[in-house]
Parts: sequence; structure tokens; C-alpha cells
Amino acid sequence: MKDVLISGRRIAQELGIFFGCFVVALGLNIYSIIKFKTQWSELLTTLHITLAVAIVIFVLLAILRFLLGGVARMFRRKTS
Amino acid sequence: MKPDSPSIISQRTRRREFLKQVAAFVGSTALLAELPWWSSLRAAPVSDAPSNRVRIGLVGVGSRGNLHISHLLRTPGVEIAALCDDYEPHLNAGLARVKGAKGFSEFRKMLEMPNLDGVLIALPLNLHSQFTLDAMSAGKHVYCEKSLAYTIEQCQAVANAYRGSKKVFQVGHQRLYSPSYLHAYELVKKGAIGDIKQIRAYWHRNGNWRNPVPSPELEHRLNWRLYRAYSCGLMTELASHHMQVANWFLGEHPLSVVGYGSINYWKDGRELYDNVNVVYKYAGGVHVIFDSLISNRFYGMEVQMMGPKGTIESETGRMFSETPPPAPGIVQLINGIERGVFETIPIGGPSWVPDLKKNTKAAYFPQEPNHDDGTGLALAAFANAIRLNEPIPGMMEQACHSGVAVLMGQMAMEQGREVTWPEDFKI
Repeated sequence: MKDVLISGRRIAQELGIFFGCFVVALGLNIYSIIKFKTQWSELLTTLHITLAVAIVIFVLLAILRFLLGGVARMFRRKTS
Repeated sequence: MKPDSPSIISQRTRRREFLKQVAAFVGSTALLAELPWWSSLRAAPVSDAPSNRVRIGLVGVGSRGNLHISHLLRTPGVEIAALCDDYEPHLNAGLARVKGAKGFSEFRKMLEMPNLDGVLIALPLNLHSQFTLDAMSAGKHVYCEKSLAYTIEQCQAVANAYRGSKKVFQVGHQRLYSPSYLHAYELVKKGAIGDIKQIRAYWHRNGNWRNPVPSPELEHRLNWRLYRAYSCGLMTELASHHMQVANWFLGEHPLSVVGYGSINYWKDGRELYDNVNVVYKYAGGVHVIFDSLISNRFYGMEVQMMGPKGTIESETGRMFSETPPPAPGIVQLINGIERGVFETIPIGGPSWVPDLKKNTKAAYFPQEPNHDDGTGLALAAFANAIRLNEPIPGMMEQACHSGVAVLMGQMAMEQGREVTWPEDFKI
């Protein structure tokens, strides 16, 4: 069985993307607190929901990146 | 008296610690102004020395009597000195559980026993008043199981006898000592649900409510709850608890009652209804609705107190606000997106929103470890009151209000008319 090697650079890149997703989820939380006029303490009390939203965004983004990567590879193969 | 088993001693030690906490709690709050029947619990539990012991005689060693034995064995400073039952198998089974207790088949003989402080009556309803009166005449303190008596006249006779006796009287309405009901009462007094506008109480079971009978001639004796000569069935055996709660929370007795009852499922020779539906009217237009049936247990048992600000379900120990706090903003946002994606847009159809039950999140009452439904504390309060030699304030009112109310309900159903509170009834 072939070993799959994930480079340190790739891990750092993925962590960076996840951090970006978390910032987006936090932004959504701030937006919803303002929109629905709820308590600012929810930034802490709903941290678990923010984290879940960040994971969902990260997974959706990963699927999108995978599909886009596949299309790009196919395009490069045809042109070479 | 023979020594108790290690298990009993350990249970009694736990109960003693619990009673110490209760005594501290009762002494440190304004509780007694609202719940005067808790007054004897202010006294800390005593040691088990013979001089401290309250000697109790239990009459009626059936299912409820056996439960009382379990509680009394755990109560510090209490000795079950005698057991009385004219049904030998029950008496023998009881004596096997209580080491050193003296057995009697005749109540009067038990009353003659020297140094007996109090009696606990766990008999069929039709015997409550006579046994209570006999015990009071013999100078004994009395704990009588609910409901108070078989007729309104008998309720009056017990109240009259108590008035001049200076003895302790307690009725088996353990919800008066239940932490869940205490919490519910506190919430109502704080105005958490606003003024109570309706109480809906129900007790549903699915079973024939029969005890196994070894021979046919014992049918009425062992299944007395099913026969009119001994009981008023669902009203006195079940509704009495909920009516006591309703009277307590509303602070008054009902003015009148209407209702229907029938035997529509268990047509097995019983005389008392297997389903009852009664509506009690209180001052100010407040109604208490009680229904009970024993052919469907889906809804179980509950007392729902409804006010304009919320609903309390005191058996489960929870409250539902009419205006619950909104969900966190992020949850509202997600729900909005979800609705936008998945919800179908109705074309035509009803333009109104059906008034289905709202899925409001409940606020649960705090749980009290080491506590039962209130029976243990009720018996400890009885023993303490005997030791302090002070009557339990407010107890006879609770017994009479509930006892008379359920008899009114039974009369309303049997006679097919509105029955009003007996104006000349005096507590």
C-alpha cells in the first residue's frame, strides 16, 4: 500500500484555511447577534455552534476545492 | 426491641443527615409563614436512645402500610411498636419485617398498649373516621391516610374531635412535603406564571387496579377500592391528592362541582367508576379540572397550573414560560436559512395557523437527592410533632378541604347535579 505524505506546508495551508472559515463563522455570529438583537455574551456561549459552522464551511470549501482541482487537472492534461 | 440490620441503620443515618439539613433550612427561612405544617421539622433529629423514641402503632399492613413501614424504619427516633391487621397473612408479613413489634388483630387492643404515642391508619376509606375518632379518644396522636373520610358528616366529626383534642393529627397528603411542590409553590408566589387561572389535573393508568385474591370471599376485603361500600374509587384514592394541591395553591376550597363518571372498560363486577371527569368552580371564576381513567396511561399523571405568564407541571417538576427567551442569534440565522432552503411555499389552503401545542423548552426544577415523594418527610414531621407535643398547624384544613371536595365530586357524578360546598362545614 502506498504511503500518503502530507507536507508540513500543506498542513499549515489547511490550518490557515480552517482559521479563515472560523473567522467567517464568527463574523456570521456577530451579524446574527446584531440582526436579531440578542446578547453579545452569545459570542462565548455559542462558541460550539460557531465551531460547528466553521467545520461545515471548511468541508463545503474542501469539496469545492477538490472539484475545482479535478477540473484544473483535466484541463492541464488536455492542453499538454 | 431487637437490633436493626446494618442496611436499616445505614439508611437511617442517611435520613438523619437529610433531616438535619431540612431543620437548618426550615429554621433559616420564612417558610413557616406560608407552609405552617413544616413547623415540627425545625427540630433536629434526635438520637435513637429509648427515651427519645416515638412509639408508633400501624393499623393496616397492606400495600400502603408496607410502604409506611419502610419509611418508619428509616426515620430516626421512631419505633414501630405495634402492627394491627385482621387479615392474618398481611399481619404476619408485616411482623416479619419489623423486629420486636407486637401484633394485634383488634385495633382497640392495640390502643390499650402502654406507651404507644401515636397510630398510623392505612385502612380502607370507610374505616378512616371511626379509627381516627377511636384513637383520638384513647389520647393517641393520629396520622391517617388520605382521603379523610367516607362521608362529609364523618369529615365534620373528625374535625370536631380534633378541635378540642390538642393532639397531633396528620393526613397522608405527602405532596405537602414534596420538594417539587415546594418549588412550584415558591414560583407561583413569586408570580412566575401570574395568578393561576386554571388547574388541569389528571391521573391515567392502564390496569384493572385489582389485587390478587386467594379466595372469592376475600374479594371485597382485598379489592375494596372497587366497591362503593368501602371507597369512592378514583376520587378518594387518586383525585384527593390533586384536589389537596389545588386547594393549597389556590388558598381556598371549591365552591361547587359538576362531573360525569362511568364504567366503560373494566366491566368486571366492580361498582366504582373506571373513568371520572369533574370540574370544580372556585372563587373568581377559576376552575380545576380533574380526569382519571384506567384504560389508557399515555398521559400518566400530572398537575398543570396555568397562568397568563406560564404553566407549571408540578409532578414532573418543570415550568414553561408563555414568552420563552429567544434562541441565540446564530441559531435563528441557521433556522432561517434552513427554512428558506427546505420549506415549501403553500399555495391556497388554510390562512390561519393551527393552535397546536408549542414546543416550548421546559425549565426544570432543581433535583433533590435523598428525597422521595414527600412521604418520608411527612412521617418525620409527624414523629417530631409528637416529640414536641405540638399539633401540626393547617393540617386539618388541608385534610378537610380535600376530603370534602372529592366527596362532592363523587356525589355530583352519582346524582347528576351540581354539588355545592356545605356551608355549615366548620373546621
